[in-house]
Amino acid sequence: MAEASLPSRSNLAATLTRRPGWTTTLRVLRYSVVRLVALFATVVVGVYLTILIANMGGYVDEIKKAQIREGISLSVSMDPANRALTPAQRNELIEGLVQVEVRRLGLDRPFLLRSFASLTDALTLNLGRTNYLTSDSGSKLVRLVILERLPPTLLLFATSNLFLFFFSIFVALRLSRNYGNLADRMVIALAPTSAAPGWFYGIFLILIFSALLGWLPFGGMVDTPPPADRLQYAWSVLRHMILPVAAITLSAIFLTIYNWRTFFLIYSSEDYVDMAKAKGLPGRIVENRYILRPTLPTIITNFALLVIGLWTGAIILETVFNWPGLGRLLYQAIGLFDTPIIVGSTVIYAYLLAITVFVLDFTYALVDPRVRVGEGGAK
Amino acid sequence: MANRSSFDAPLLQVRELVLHFRTSKGVVQAVDGVDFTLNANEAVVIIGESGCGKSSLAKAILRLLPRNVHRYTGKTFLYGQEVMALSDEEFRRTIRWNRIAMVPQAAMNALNPVLRVGDQVAEPLMIHQGMRKSKALEKAVEMFRLVGVPEDFVHRYAFELSGGMRQRVALAMALVTSPDLIILDEPTSALDVLTQANIMNQLKRIKKEMGMSFILITHDIATSSELADRVAVMYAGQIVEVGDALRFFQEPLHPYAQKLMASVPRLRETKDPEFIVGQPPSLINPPTGCRFADRCHRRFARCAEEPPVIEQHGRLVKCWLYTEDGVNQRDASHSRHQD
Repeated sequence: MAEASLPSRSNLAATLTRRPGWTTTLRVLRYSVVRLVALFATVVVGVYLTILIANMGGYVDEIKKAQIREGISLSVSMDPANRALTPAQRNELIEGLVQVEVRRLGLDRPFLLRSFASLTDALTLNLGRTNYLTSDSGSKLVRLVILERLPPTLLLFATSNLFLFFFSIFVALRLSRNYGNLADRMVIALAPTSAAPGWFYGIFLILIFSALLGWLPFGGMVDTPPPADRLQYAWSVLRHMILPVAAITLSAIFLTIYNWRTFFLIYSSEDYVDMAKAKGLPGRIVENRYILRPTLPTIITNFALLVIGLWTGAIILETVFNWPGLGRLLYQAIGLFDTPIIVGSTVIYAYLLAITVFVLDFTYALVDPRVRVGEGGAK
Repeated sequence: MANRSSFDAPLLQVRELVLHFRTSKGVVQAVDGVDFTLNANEAVVIIGESGCGKSSLAKAILRLLPRNVHRYTGKTFLYGQEVMALSDEEFRRTIRWNRIAMVPQAAMNALNPVLRVGDQVAEPLMIHQGMRKSKALEKAVEMFRLVGVPEDFVHRYAFELSGGMRQRVALAMALVTSPDLIILDEPTSALDVLTQANIMNQLKRIKKEMGMSFILITHDIATSSELADRVAVMYAGQIVEVGDALRFFQEPLHPYAQKLMASVPRLRETKDPEFIVGQPPSLINPPTGCRFADRCHRRFARCAEEPPVIEQHGRLVKCWLYTEDGVNQRDASHSRHQD
């Protein structure tokens, strides 16, 4: 029987080396492109809505025109050279200057047309000049102002999210192994604490660790004056990061662990996990290959939603901690009606969100062969 | 029997195996004192209706216990070696898949969706025998051929296979380490009749060609008769009859087994299939005495006591009917019928 049922050597080798690589790459590529297009469409819609809202549907133009008229009237009336003019001539002069300025700013074209122009500008990061705010280096270019604020935000949120992801997976896996024990029940009991946002916990953390105990700074990103030594600078930033990272983590960690531990429990009761145990695989392999890996797509979906929530919570959190990031900038800009900055930060936020979601989608495709290879594919 | 680790000890001996679960309603006596013996190159079929403890028996033999185990006692000997005495780690390394493998119930879900099936089949070889991956994969391909799966399927994922193919892959997975014994837990229950027949034929061939031994757990009497050398009938956590397959199918002894056989529809008989009145007893609080007594058409006074296991012509029956009391009883009922 052995002769008949054994494949020939060469045949066998061919079977084993032939990896279905090319079609898989194509499939992942197609999936990624489709996701990218969908995300870009979302960004476009989001940014356009922001432009409409930040301009108050064109009303901000009226405010600007009034400001121009006021400024010009003032300068014309103050100019000694114009003292001889009659009121009619003066009005004519003012009107002429206003028209020139309005045309210069493009305010004479209908708002709808201009909104599309702003949309293109926004999407290509041609963000223009601020109305009032300046960057720390004194520039009024929106791009520079935002670029200055972007790294602190990225630092804070990348740290928090990466910590949240890996720590939650680790704890959730441990809890699912011994579900029903004291630690597990405590996490379940604490899950509702995630209903409160990060800044809420931030206030209490500042109260306790800065005001009462005096261990950590109240806010900001680095001591004033900033330490000259690089190592000390990093240490200072680290100390300033502890509380905001703790606040973000606290606001999400228990619910996340609870969710993921439940995912792990659901997937551990699958037949293939029993099968892996019956095969006599060591516990670590069973856990990594048969519980963690099949659960990962679900966890990544859940995490994507969580991260979106955390990004949007950044505005108040950064304000509470006086963190010089995008969120704080947006908060200041809203207070001052600084439309270019509002639009600019929103565009950057939208892009950040889209990039985050895309990275997670891409990871999803990598960990789930049903996406990578395609349902019923390769037939 | 004197020398338990002798060569000519039977392949598997199960003695007084007990597996009880703790539930919120009480202790479920899923397996309650099961005894049977399996010789090399033999297939024993364990028949019983749903919930009689068949699958729990398979789990108990492979020590695949859930968290809520209440009691797990008894002895199992593999070629005379007491395997229940091994520590969990030793049992995992030496017994699972090296000596005893299984094809689970609903093998449809027995494959990990995110691993290639070839890797899953090759995995035990790499873990237990330290084989290199390429070598293990070659062996997996060999097994695929043996069970009739196209060899390039090693690179596929479970969702790319049909139900019958997945079942075959599960079978290939059980065969790959050439274990002494394979436990088949309802291996064909989710499949269509044609695929069922196909897989039963494969099993028969493998048994003949590789000298494999099987425990086949099923409720499908007709299909199982293809493979069976011996039959064990399970009822409410206990084995009520064990015997040679040919003689069992001709003449079951235990009243439950008789009713079970009568419930199978037959092609060339006009007789309607029978059914058994009532429900199997709850395994949480099973009746004292014979567990089948309430539904038995031949019950008599003695049945309130725990029935003994009687040997008759090499067959074991757990029933009072085959004791002296029972013989009188049978005669009495016979004469009554004749009146």
